[in-house]
Amino acid sequence: MESLKVYILVANRMYNDGIRSGLGLAVENHYAFPVIMNGEFPSFSTYMSENIAWVKDMEGQVYSCGAVAPDACVDEDGDKLIAEISLEELGEAMRDADFIIPYGLSKQTNEPPPACAE
Amino acid sequence: MSADPNKLAIFVTSPQHMRHVVGLANAAEKAGKKLMIFFTYKSIHLTKDPRFKVLAEKCGEDHIAICADSYTCEGYDAAADIPAGLSGKQMRTQAFHGALLDECGKYIVL
Amino acid sequence: MKILQVYRSEPNSDVKTLVGILNRDREADEFNLNVENPDYDTLVAKIFTADKTVCWW
Repeated sequence: MESLKVYILVANRMYNDGIRSGLGLAVENHYAFPVIMNGEFPSFSTYMSENIAWVKDMEGQVYSCGAVAPDACVDEDGDKLIAEISLEELGEAMRDADFIIPYGLSKQTNEPPPACAE
Repeated sequence: MSADPNKLAIFVTSPQHMRHVVGLANAAEKAGKKLMIFFTYKSIHLTKDPRFKVLAEKCGEDHIAICADSYTCEGYDAAADIPAGLSGKQMRTQAFHGALLDECGKYIVL
Repeated sequence: MKILQVYRSEPNSDVKTLVGILNRDREADEFNLNVENPDYDTLVAKIFTADKTVCWW
């Protein structure tokens, strides 16, 4: 089976599940590139950080586009697991993609209330 | 297996576009195309829409599934509350999405 | 390469930038789902004519 190059774009803080979805494709021998747009990062639980590391181990990469990659998600050597990519670089990279998946919902206009901000 | 050029994959990731899922599925059927649909993450709430059962029956057991983990994460009971129109075999993993990519010549995200 | 851009909502500036790059030197088409009654028959025809479809949020 041909290995496909898949970009999964996450624009909304509630849809970082796109990383898990990317990992699911990596396990199926595809190349997964989840991209967190404009700093809509998840909480970096052990589960989430392990998934991000696993995507990288499977020859994919989780990217941050439009925000500095967070210090909270690092490997055992302290190196950041999330790589930074500019919007223009992302566009150029996706010209070569087999599939582009804008995942879930777009970015919210309002800031989240305390009830769901964490 | 190579991708079937007459088969449309619909990967449903948004919980708010059931009208597009149904509209596209009906139009694809009318055009004589085959369908394969996977609902993941918060889109699994759409299984509670009355139109879901009709859609599931139209697609058939091998061609529509939902992410069982997503269903559980969203608070539903994946053992005792399988969505209307589905069987337990259609409570799947992300591997079903991989099958969409492999088997379908055309693909859209909703 | 024929690429189809589909919009579920009004595209923001990021989406417009990405679409511009993806469409460069390619035959590009588009379809707006963000209307009251989308013509799904036309959308199916466009999807099956295109080599690749991107459906934005």
